[in-house]
Amino acid sequence: MIEINATILAQILNFLILVVLLRAVAYKPVARLLQQRSDKIRNDLEKAEADRKAAEQTLADYKVQLADAHKKAQDIVDKANLTARQEHDAAVAETRKEIERMKQVAQAEIENERNRAFEDMKSQIVTLSLAAAGKVVSKNIDTKENDKLVNEFISNLNKDMFADLK
Amino acid sequence: MHEIGVRETINFLGLTFNIETLKMTWLAMGIVILVACLATRNLKVVPQGWQNFVEMIILWLHDQIDAMMGSRGRMLAPFIVGLFMFLLASNLIGLVPLMASPTNDLNTTLGLALLVVCIVHCLGLYFKGGHYIAHFFQPTPVFVVINMIEEIAKPITLAFRLFGNILAGEILIIVLLKLMPIWMPIPSVAWLAFSIFISCVQAVIFTMLSMAYLANAVKEDHAE
Repeated sequence: MIEINATILAQILNFLILVVLLRAVAYKPVARLLQQRSDKIRNDLEKAEADRKAAEQTLADYKVQLADAHKKAQDIVDKANLTARQEHDAAVAETRKEIERMKQVAQAEIENERNRAFEDMKSQIVTLSLAAAGKVVSKNIDTKENDKLVNEFISNLNKDMFADLK
Repeated sequence: MHEIGVRETINFLGLTFNIETLKMTWLAMGIVILVACLATRNLKVVPQGWQNFVEMIILWLHDQIDAMMGSRGRMLAPFIVGLFMFLLASNLIGLVPLMASPTNDLNTTLGLALLVVCIVHCLGLYFKGGHYIAHFFQPTPVFVVINMIEEIAKPITLAFRLFGNILAGEILIIVLLKLMPIWMPIPSVAWLAFSIFISCVQAVIFTMLSMAYLANAVKEDHAE
């Protein structure tokens, strides 16, 4: 049952042949594949890590940019508000000045009108007075005397006598 | 049915060969190569079908090799993968009716064991040189006797363990079939199932012990 014969040599040879064949057919390609797979997994993981970092960087950049944009927008709004306020103030001041000016003009006009009315009235009073005086006095006075009387009368007139005209 | 213990022999070039063992060895080799071809015919990064099976074996053995042998072990990986797959196929085809395991012949197991031991000593001398010879004389030169017995025992235990287990399995299948009537298959089936388990376990044990012996020769010694 347990005789040892030349089969032992044949078996060693057979097995060596098998190992050589198996190494060529199966082991090398599979080992290469396993290596490839572990490489691929490692690369993928590294790439994923790099991508994640890049994404985080991008996100941080975007956040900074967004904050900048917000700040700029706020600045613009503030500036616009300031400008609007300044313009508003300027417009109000201008309007006030205009009103003031118009008031002054109006007052000056009123003054002028009053003065003119006063002058008109004065000359009418003179005429009326002269006519009245002429009729009342009925006395011929020479022109020189007449002018003197008139001037005297007129110079005695003053504004206070027409206080109700104001 | 087998005539237990009687082997058909042929004479070739003045040498005697057990022809059945050789045929079965070639069959086992054929199966291993076939599985390997099936597995690697269409290799994909995402494995499918037989590729899973072969990858599983290779990855598992790679793990064992890395754990036991260190960095030089990978050089021996094809040998160990081949050994394991051949033993698995050899042990299992013996369970198919009308077939016999190549490993039920001591010539096969002893041949493999001697091959392993030869590789161990060659690699030991190659990698460690004088240290390798010196370690047989440690701790004192007297120990050389014990060490020699150990070294001789290695291939013998390796060979006889496998041979005995497989041959016993096959003999018992034959005995059970003769012992039991044909309508009572439970004992044979139970034994067959156990033999499948034994076949796998013996393949693992042979491979593991070979790796352990090879590791002795190959591993870098940090102590020295």
